Amino acid sequence: MNIALGLQDFLVTRTKRSWEPEEDLFASGVVSSLFALELVVYLEKAYGVEVEGENLSIDNFRTIRRIEELVRELQAAAS
Amino acid sequence: MSDALGSARELVSDRVGDRAGEWDRAGRLPLDLLRDLGSAGVLCAQVPVKDGGLGLSSKENGELTAHLGALCGSTRSVATSQGMAAWVITRLGSRRQRTAFLPRLTGGELAAVAFSEPEAGSDLAAMATEIRRDGDDVVVSGEKVWITVGAYADLVVVFGRFGDGAAAVVVPTAAAGVVVERVEDPLGCRAAGHATVRLDSVRVPADHLLGAAGQSLSLLVTSALTYGRVSIAWGCVGILRSCREAAASHARSRTQSGKPLAEHQLVAEHLAELLVAEQVATRMCEHASTCWDDGSPDLVIASVLAKHVAATNAARGAASAVQVLGSAGARDGHPVARAYRDAKLMEIIEGSNEICRLLLAGAA
Repeated sequence: MNIALGLQDFLVTRTKRSWEPEEDLFASGVVSSLFALELVVYLEKAYGVEVEGENLSIDNFRTIRRIEELVRELQAAAS
Repeated sequence: MSDALGSARELVSDRVGDRAGEWDRAGRLPLDLLRDLGSAGVLCAQVPVKDGGLGLSSKENGELTAHLGALCGSTRSVATSQGMAAWVITRLGSRRQRTAFLPRLTGGELAAVAFSEPEAGSDLAAMATEIRRDGDDVVVSGEKVWITVGAYADLVVVFGRFGDGAAAVVVPTAAAGVVVERVEDPLGCRAAGHATVRLDSVRVPADHLLGAAGQSLSLLVTSALTYGRVSIAWGCVGILRSCREAAASHARSRTQSGKPLAEHQLVAEHLAELLVAEQVATRMCEHASTCWDDGSPDLVIASVLAKHVAATNAARGAASAVQVLGSAGARDGHPVARAYRDAKLMEIIEGSNEICRLLLAGAA
Protein backbone atom coordinates (compact mmCIF):
# COMPACT_ATOMS: atom_id res chain seq x y z
CA MET A 1 0.00 0.00 0.00
CA ASN A 2 1.21 3.53 -0.74
CA ILE A 3 2.10 4.75 2.73
CA ALA A 4 1.40 8.46 2.16
CA LEU A 5 -2.01 7.77 0.59
CA GLY A 6 -2.98 5.34 3.32
CA LEU A 7 -1.96 7.88 5.94
CA GLN A 8 -3.97 10.61 4.24
CA ASP A 9 -7.06 8.38 4.31
CA PHE A 10 -6.54 7.60 7.99
CA LEU A 11 -5.96 11.24 8.90
CA VAL A 12 -8.97 12.48 6.97
CA THR A 13 -11.15 9.91 8.74
CA ARG A 14 -9.85 10.89 12.16
CA THR A 15 -9.49 14.66 11.79
CA LYS A 16 -12.06 15.50 9.08
CA ARG A 17 -9.50 17.43 7.02
CA SER A 18 -6.58 16.80 4.66
CA TRP A 19 -2.92 17.38 5.52
CA GLU A 20 0.17 18.59 3.66
CA PRO A 21 3.14 16.18 3.80
CA GLU A 22 5.23 18.55 5.96
CA GLU A 23 2.42 19.94 8.12
CA ASP A 24 2.86 19.44 11.88
CA LEU A 25 -0.05 17.28 13.02
CA PHE A 26 0.35 18.14 16.67
CA ALA A 27 0.92 21.90 16.35
CA SER A 28 -2.49 22.40 14.79
CA GLY A 29 -4.57 21.67 17.87
CA VAL A 30 -6.90 19.66 15.62
CA VAL A 31 -5.92 16.19 16.82
CA SER A 32 -7.36 14.86 20.08
CA SER A 33 -5.42 13.56 23.06
CA LEU A 34 -6.32 10.05 21.90
CA PHE A 35 -4.92 10.56 18.41
CA ALA A 36 -1.24 9.68 18.97
CA LEU A 37 -2.06 6.18 20.20
CA GLU A 38 -4.65 5.67 17.44
CA LEU A 39 -1.96 6.57 14.92
CA VAL A 40 0.58 4.15 16.41
CA VAL A 41 -1.94 1.28 16.45
CA TYR A 42 -2.98 2.12 12.88
CA LEU A 43 0.63 2.04 11.62
CA GLU A 44 1.28 -1.31 13.27
CA LYS A 45 -1.84 -2.87 11.79
CA ALA A 46 -1.69 -1.28 8.32
CA TYR A 47 2.02 -1.73 7.64
CA GLY A 48 2.91 -4.76 9.77
CA VAL A 49 5.53 -2.93 11.82
CA GLU A 50 6.17 -2.77 15.55
CA VAL A 51 6.57 0.76 16.88
CA GLU A 52 8.25 0.38 20.22
CA GLY A 53 10.69 1.87 22.70
CA GLU A 54 12.74 4.74 21.30
CA ASN A 55 10.65 4.82 18.10
CA LEU A 56 7.65 6.12 20.05
CA SER A 57 9.22 9.58 20.21
CA ILE A 58 6.58 12.13 19.22
CA ASP A 59 8.97 13.67 16.67
CA ASN A 60 8.56 10.51 14.58
CA PHE A 61 4.84 11.27 14.16
CA ARG A 62 4.82 15.02 13.53
CA THR A 63 4.34 15.00 9.77
CA ILE A 64 3.14 12.61 7.09
CA ARG A 65 6.64 12.70 5.59
CA ARG A 66 8.31 11.73 8.86
CA ILE A 67 5.78 8.98 9.56
CA GLU A 68 6.36 7.59 6.08
CA GLU A 69 10.12 7.53 6.73
CA LEU A 70 9.61 5.80 10.07
CA VAL A 71 7.44 3.08 8.52
CA ARG A 72 10.04 2.49 5.77
CA GLU A 73 12.82 2.32 8.37
CA LEU A 74 10.90 -0.18 10.48
CA GLN A 75 9.98 -2.28 7.45
CA ALA A 76 13.63 -2.31 6.32
CA ALA A 77 14.83 -3.26 9.82
CA ALA A 78 12.34 -6.12 10.01
CA SER A 79 13.20 -7.59 6.58
CA MET B 1 -12.82 -21.23 26.75
CA SER B 2 -9.04 -21.79 26.57
CA ASP B 3 -7.34 -24.03 29.13
CA ALA B 4 -5.41 -21.04 30.48
CA LEU B 5 -8.61 -19.03 31.02
CA GLY B 6 -10.38 -22.01 32.59
CA SER B 7 -7.54 -22.65 35.04
CA ALA B 8 -7.30 -18.95 35.92
CA ARG B 9 -11.05 -18.74 36.59
CA GLU B 10 -10.85 -21.82 38.78
CA LEU B 11 -7.95 -20.39 40.79
CA VAL B 12 -9.81 -17.10 41.29
CA SER B 13 -13.00 -18.90 42.37
CA ASP B 14 -11.03 -21.01 44.82
CA ARG B 15 -8.84 -18.27 46.33
CA VAL B 16 -11.31 -15.38 46.37
CA GLY B 17 -14.63 -17.21 46.75
CA ASP B 18 -16.97 -15.33 49.09
CA ARG B 19 -14.25 -13.67 51.20
CA ALA B 20 -14.49 -10.19 49.64
CA GLY B 21 -16.77 -8.80 52.37
CA GLU B 22 -14.33 -9.76 55.09
CA TRP B 23 -11.41 -8.14 53.22
CA ASP B 24 -13.49 -5.06 52.46
CA ARG B 25 -14.33 -4.55 56.13
CA ALA B 26 -10.69 -5.08 57.13
CA GLY B 27 -9.52 -2.74 54.36
CA ARG B 28 -6.78 -5.22 53.52
CA LEU B 29 -6.24 -8.06 51.06
CA PRO B 30 -4.07 -10.98 52.20
CA LEU B 31 -0.62 -10.45 50.69
CA ASP B 32 -0.17 -14.17 50.07
CA LEU B 33 -3.36 -14.14 47.96
CA LEU B 34 -1.94 -11.37 45.77
CA ARG B 35 1.47 -13.03 45.51
CA ASP B 36 -0.13 -16.35 44.58
CA LEU B 37 -2.47 -14.84 41.96
CA GLY B 38 0.44 -12.79 40.65
CA SER B 39 2.82 -15.71 40.32
CA ALA B 40 0.10 -17.68 38.53
CA GLY B 41 0.00 -14.87 35.95
CA VAL B 42 -3.64 -14.12 36.73
CA LEU B 43 -3.16 -10.44 37.62
CA CYS B 44 -1.74 -9.51 34.20
CA ALA B 45 -3.05 -12.36 32.10
CA GLN B 46 -2.42 -10.75 28.69
CA VAL B 47 1.35 -10.89 29.16
CA PRO B 48 2.73 -13.33 26.55
CA VAL B 49 3.66 -16.85 27.59
CA LYS B 50 7.32 -16.19 26.72
CA ASP B 51 7.39 -13.51 29.42
CA GLY B 52 5.79 -15.78 31.99
CA GLY B 53 2.20 -14.70 31.39
CA LEU B 54 -0.88 -16.62 30.38
CA GLY B 55 -1.00 -15.06 26.91
CA LEU B 56 -4.75 -14.46 27.06
CA SER B 57 -6.45 -12.33 24.43
CA SER B 58 -8.08 -9.10 25.57
CA LYS B 59 -11.49 -10.76 25.37
CA GLU B 60 -10.37 -13.73 27.47
CA ASN B 61 -8.69 -11.42 29.96
CA GLY B 62 -11.92 -9.43 30.05
CA GLU B 63 -13.95 -12.50 30.90
CA LEU B 64 -11.48 -13.29 33.69
CA THR B 65 -11.65 -9.68 34.92
CA ALA B 66 -15.46 -9.78 34.97
CA HIS B 67 -15.35 -13.02 36.97
CA LEU B 68 -12.94 -11.45 39.45
CA GLY B 69 -14.98 -8.24 39.50
CA ALA B 70 -18.12 -10.16 40.38
CA LEU B 71 -16.37 -11.70 43.37
CA CYS B 72 -14.17 -8.90 44.71
CA GLY B 73 -13.78 -5.33 43.46
CA SER B 74 -10.57 -4.79 45.44
CA THR B 75 -8.78 -7.81 43.99
CA ARG B 76 -10.04 -6.81 40.54
CA SER B 77 -8.52 -3.35 41.13
CA VAL B 78 -5.17 -5.00 41.86
CA ALA B 79 -5.44 -6.92 38.58
CA THR B 80 -6.27 -3.73 36.68
CA SER B 81 -3.19 -2.00 38.10
CA GLN B 82 -0.90 -4.95 37.55
CA GLY B 83 -2.19 -5.44 34.01
CA MET B 84 -1.83 -1.73 33.28
CA ALA B 85 1.76 -1.71 34.58
CA ALA B 86 2.57 -4.73 32.41
CA TRP B 87 0.93 -3.09 29.41
CA VAL B 88 2.84 0.20 29.89
CA ILE B 89 6.11 -1.73 30.01
CA THR B 90 5.07 -3.70 26.90
CA ARG B 91 3.84 -0.66 24.96
CA LEU B 92 6.49 1.89 25.91
CA GLY B 93 9.47 -0.21 26.87
CA SER B 94 12.21 -1.72 24.74
CA ARG B 95 12.50 -5.46 24.15
CA ARG B 96 15.22 -5.57 26.81
CA GLN B 97 12.99 -3.78 29.33
CA ARG B 98 10.11 -6.17 28.64
CA THR B 99 12.44 -9.10 29.25
CA ALA B 100 13.70 -7.50 32.46
CA PHE B 101 10.40 -6.45 34.04
CA LEU B 102 7.53 -8.61 32.78
CA PRO B 103 8.74 -11.87 34.37
CA ARG B 104 8.83 -10.02 37.70
CA LEU B 105 5.16 -9.06 37.28
CA THR B 106 4.23 -12.65 36.44
CA GLY B 107 6.46 -13.99 39.21
CA GLY B 108 4.62 -12.58 42.22
CA GLU B 109 5.87 -9.00 42.46
CA LEU B 110 3.10 -6.40 42.56
CA ALA B 111 2.96 -3.19 40.56
CA ALA B 112 1.07 0.09 40.63
CA VAL B 113 0.77 2.85 38.05
CA ALA B 114 1.07 6.45 39.28
CA PHE B 115 -0.58 9.34 37.41
CA SER B 116 -2.61 11.50 39.80
CA GLU B 117 -1.12 14.24 41.91
CA PRO B 118 -2.57 16.75 44.39
CA GLU B 119 -2.99 19.32 41.58
CA ALA B 120 -3.30 16.92 38.63
CA GLY B 121 -6.41 14.77 38.59
CA SER B 122 -8.50 14.95 35.43
CA ASP B 123 -5.98 17.49 34.12
CA LEU B 124 -2.92 15.28 33.98
CA ALA B 125 -1.12 17.94 31.93
CA ALA B 126 -0.70 19.72 35.28
CA MET B 127 1.56 16.91 36.48
CA ALA B 128 4.53 18.30 38.43
CA THR B 129 6.54 15.15 39.16
CA GLU B 130 9.98 15.56 37.64
CA ILE B 131 12.01 12.80 36.04
CA ARG B 132 15.56 13.71 34.99
CA ARG B 133 18.71 11.97 33.86
CA ASP B 134 21.77 12.21 36.07
CA GLY B 135 24.68 10.25 34.62
CA ASP B 136 23.80 6.56 34.63
CA ASP B 137 20.78 7.19 36.85
CA VAL B 138 17.36 8.73 36.68
CA VAL B 139 16.15 10.92 39.54
CA VAL B 140 12.42 11.12 40.32
CA SER B 141 10.81 13.75 42.58
CA GLY B 142 7.14 14.36 43.22
CA GLU B 143 3.99 13.25 45.00
CA LYS B 144 1.43 10.82 43.61
CA VAL B 145 -1.99 10.40 45.19
CA TRP B 146 -4.73 7.79 45.12
CA ILE B 147 -2.38 5.17 43.74
CA THR B 148 -4.29 1.89 43.60
CA VAL B 149 -2.19 -1.01 44.94
CA GLY B 150 0.37 1.53 46.19
CA ALA B 151 0.28 -0.01 49.67
CA TYR B 152 1.16 -3.47 48.33
CA ALA B 153 3.39 -2.59 45.38
CA ASP B 154 6.98 -3.67 44.89
CA LEU B 155 7.23 -1.53 41.76
CA VAL B 156 5.50 1.70 40.73
CA VAL B 157 5.40 2.89 37.13
CA VAL B 158 5.64 6.64 37.65
CA PHE B 159 4.61 9.18 35.01
CA GLY B 160 6.13 12.65 35.08
CA ARG B 161 7.69 15.55 33.25
CA PHE B 162 10.98 14.93 31.47
CA GLY B 163 12.56 18.01 29.92
CA ASP B 164 10.05 19.50 27.47
CA GLY B 165 8.08 16.25 27.31
CA ALA B 166 7.11 13.39 29.56
CA ALA B 167 8.35 9.96 30.57
CA ALA B 168 7.46 6.85 32.52
CA VAL B 169 9.92 5.18 34.86
CA VAL B 170 9.80 1.97 36.90
CA VAL B 171 10.53 2.77 40.55
CA PRO B 172 10.99 0.04 43.18
CA THR B 173 9.17 1.01 46.38
CA ALA B 174 12.21 -0.22 48.30
CA ALA B 175 14.35 2.52 46.73
CA ALA B 176 15.68 5.22 49.07
CA GLY B 177 13.39 8.26 49.11
CA VAL B 178 10.10 6.41 48.42
CA VAL B 179 7.49 6.91 51.14
CA VAL B 180 4.13 5.10 50.84
CA GLU B 181 1.20 6.18 53.00
CA ARG B 182 -2.05 4.23 52.82
CA VAL B 183 -5.34 6.07 52.16
CA GLU B 184 -7.60 4.86 54.96
CA ASP B 185 -11.29 4.13 54.40
CA PRO B 186 -11.76 4.94 50.71
CA LEU B 187 -15.39 4.95 49.54
CA GLY B 188 -15.04 1.84 47.41
CA CYS B 189 -12.62 -1.00 46.63
CA ARG B 190 -11.57 -0.48 50.24
CA ALA B 191 -8.96 -3.23 50.26
CA ALA B 192 -7.24 -2.23 47.02
CA GLY B 193 -4.35 -0.56 48.85
CA HIS B 194 -4.87 3.04 47.68
CA ALA B 195 -1.91 5.10 48.79
CA THR B 196 -0.04 8.36 48.52
CA VAL B 197 3.44 7.77 47.11
CA ARG B 198 6.04 10.45 47.84
CA LEU B 199 9.23 10.43 45.80
CA ASP B 200 12.05 12.45 47.31
CA SER B 201 14.92 12.56 44.79
CA VAL B 202 14.58 8.83 44.21
CA ARG B 203 17.50 7.49 42.19
CA VAL B 204 17.06 4.45 39.92
CA PRO B 205 19.22 3.08 37.08
CA ALA B 206 18.66 4.78 33.72
CA ASP B 207 17.44 1.54 32.18
CA HIS B 208 14.31 1.88 34.34
CA LEU B 209 13.25 4.77 32.11
CA LEU B 210 10.79 3.27 29.64
CA GLY B 211 11.42 3.77 25.93
CA ALA B 212 11.95 7.19 24.50
CA ALA B 213 11.98 9.68 27.34
CA GLY B 214 10.65 13.13 26.45
CA GLN B 215 7.54 11.82 24.71
CA SER B 216 4.11 13.32 24.40
CA LEU B 217 2.30 13.04 27.73
CA SER B 218 -0.95 12.27 25.94
CA LEU B 219 0.61 9.28 24.15
CA LEU B 220 1.99 7.93 27.43
CA VAL B 221 -1.17 8.48 29.44
CA THR B 222 -3.56 7.30 26.73
CA SER B 223 -1.48 4.15 26.22
CA ALA B 224 -1.78 3.26 29.89
CA LEU B 225 -5.38 4.35 30.35
CA THR B 226 -6.61 2.42 27.33
CA TYR B 227 -5.73 -0.83 29.09
CA GLY B 228 -7.09 0.51 32.38
CA ARG B 229 -10.39 1.54 30.81
CA VAL B 230 -10.97 -1.82 29.17
CA SER B 231 -10.11 -3.60 32.41
CA ILE B 232 -12.36 -1.41 34.56
CA ALA B 233 -15.19 -1.78 32.06
CA TRP B 234 -14.97 -5.56 32.32
CA GLY B 235 -14.80 -5.24 36.11
CA CYS B 236 -18.06 -3.27 35.97
CA VAL B 237 -19.62 -6.12 33.98
CA GLY B 238 -18.71 -8.28 36.98
CA ILE B 239 -20.35 -5.81 39.37
CA LEU B 240 -23.51 -5.86 37.24
CA ARG B 241 -23.48 -9.66 37.05
CA SER B 242 -23.26 -10.05 40.83
CA CYS B 243 -25.91 -7.37 41.41
CA ARG B 244 -28.31 -8.90 38.87
CA GLU B 245 -27.88 -12.35 40.41
CA ALA B 246 -28.35 -11.08 43.99
CA ALA B 247 -31.39 -8.97 43.09
CA ALA B 248 -33.07 -11.72 41.05
CA SER B 249 -32.44 -14.35 43.71
CA HIS B 250 -33.86 -12.14 46.45
CA ALA B 251 -36.85 -11.01 44.38
CA ARG B 252 -37.80 -14.60 43.56
CA SER B 253 -37.43 -15.92 47.10
CA ARG B 254 -38.96 -13.13 49.21
CA THR B 255 -42.72 -12.92 49.34
CA GLN B 256 -44.62 -9.73 50.14
CA SER B 257 -48.34 -9.06 49.79
CA GLY B 258 -48.92 -12.70 48.89
CA LYS B 259 -46.48 -13.08 45.99
CA PRO B 260 -42.75 -13.02 45.27
CA LEU B 261 -41.22 -9.56 44.89
CA ALA B 262 -40.29 -10.46 41.31
CA GLU B 263 -43.99 -10.59 40.44
CA HIS B 264 -44.54 -7.02 41.60
CA GLN B 265 -44.18 -5.07 38.38
CA LEU B 266 -42.16 -2.17 39.77
CA VAL B 267 -39.62 -4.62 41.23
CA ALA B 268 -39.60 -6.65 38.00
CA GLU B 269 -38.71 -3.46 36.18
CA HIS B 270 -35.52 -3.20 38.27
CA LEU B 271 -34.61 -6.77 37.30
CA ALA B 272 -35.18 -6.06 33.61
CA GLU B 273 -33.07 -2.91 33.81
CA LEU B 274 -30.28 -4.79 35.55
CA LEU B 275 -30.24 -7.39 32.79
CA VAL B 276 -30.22 -4.69 30.10
CA ALA B 277 -27.43 -2.79 31.88
CA GLU B 278 -25.29 -5.92 32.17
CA GLN B 279 -25.85 -7.01 28.58
CA VAL B 280 -25.19 -3.57 27.10
CA ALA B 281 -22.00 -3.19 29.15
CA THR B 282 -20.88 -6.65 28.09
CA ARG B 283 -21.38 -5.88 24.39
CA MET B 284 -19.43 -2.62 24.73
CA CYS B 285 -16.59 -4.49 26.44
CA GLU B 286 -16.59 -7.21 23.81
CA HIS B 287 -16.35 -4.55 21.12
CA ALA B 288 -13.38 -2.86 22.81
CA SER B 289 -11.62 -6.18 23.33
CA THR B 290 -12.25 -7.24 19.74
CA CYS B 291 -10.67 -3.96 18.59
CA TRP B 292 -7.72 -4.69 20.89
CA ASP B 293 -7.30 -8.25 19.63
CA ASP B 294 -7.64 -7.15 15.98
CA GLY B 295 -5.10 -4.31 16.39
CA SER B 296 -7.69 -1.74 15.33
CA PRO B 297 -7.04 1.96 16.09
CA ASP B 298 -10.73 2.13 17.00
CA LEU B 299 -9.62 0.48 20.23
CA VAL B 300 -8.76 3.84 21.77
CA ILE B 301 -12.23 5.38 21.58
CA ALA B 302 -13.89 1.98 22.09
CA SER B 303 -12.13 1.72 25.45
CA VAL B 304 -13.54 5.10 26.51
CA LEU B 305 -17.01 4.09 25.34
CA ALA B 306 -16.87 0.74 27.15
CA LYS B 307 -15.60 2.27 30.36
CA HIS B 308 -18.18 5.05 30.32
CA VAL B 309 -21.15 2.80 29.56
CA ALA B 310 -20.07 0.05 31.94
CA ALA B 311 -19.28 2.38 34.84
CA THR B 312 -22.50 4.37 34.60
CA ASN B 313 -24.51 1.17 34.17
CA ALA B 314 -22.76 -0.41 37.16
CA ALA B 315 -23.44 2.59 39.39
CA ARG B 316 -27.10 2.67 38.37
CA GLY B 317 -27.44 -1.13 38.48
CA ALA B 318 -25.88 -1.44 41.93
CA ALA B 319 -28.28 1.24 43.22
CA SER B 320 -31.20 -0.76 41.76
CA ALA B 321 -29.93 -3.95 43.38
CA VAL B 322 -29.76 -2.26 46.79
CA GLN B 323 -33.31 -0.99 46.18
CA VAL B 324 -34.60 -4.49 45.35
CA LEU B 325 -32.99 -6.05 48.41
CA GLY B 326 -34.21 -3.24 50.66
CA SER B 327 -33.10 -3.61 54.25
CA ALA B 328 -31.50 -6.99 53.46
CA GLY B 329 -28.88 -5.26 51.30
CA ALA B 330 -28.64 -1.97 53.15
CA ARG B 331 -25.86 -2.92 55.51
CA ASP B 332 -22.11 -2.82 55.39
CA GLY B 333 -20.73 -6.16 54.29
CA HIS B 334 -23.56 -7.20 52.00
CA PRO B 335 -22.34 -7.80 48.42
CA VAL B 336 -24.79 -5.28 46.90
CA ALA B 337 -23.84 -2.60 49.44
CA ARG B 338 -20.17 -3.21 48.58
CA ALA B 339 -21.00 -3.14 44.86
CA TYR B 340 -22.84 0.17 45.37
CA ARG B 341 -19.72 1.78 46.86
CA ASP B 342 -17.31 0.14 44.43
CA ALA B 343 -19.38 1.10 41.39
CA LYS B 344 -19.44 4.78 42.36
CA LEU B 345 -15.64 4.77 42.37
CA MET B 346 -15.69 3.36 38.82
CA GLU B 347 -17.42 6.55 37.64
CA ILE B 348 -14.47 8.58 38.91
CA ILE B 349 -11.30 6.68 38.03
CA GLU B 350 -9.52 6.18 34.69
CA GLY B 351 -11.40 9.16 33.29
CA SER B 352 -14.41 10.47 35.16
CA ASN B 353 -17.83 10.31 33.51
CA GLU B 354 -17.37 13.93 32.51
CA ILE B 355 -13.92 13.40 30.94
CA CYS B 356 -15.20 10.33 29.08
CA ARG B 357 -18.08 12.36 27.67
CA LEU B 358 -15.68 15.07 26.49
CA LEU B 359 -13.56 12.44 24.73
CA LEU B 360 -16.65 10.85 23.18
CA ALA B 361 -17.90 14.25 22.04
CA GLY B 362 -14.57 14.77 20.28
CA ALA B 363 -15.10 11.55 18.37
CA ALA B 364 -18.70 12.35 17.45
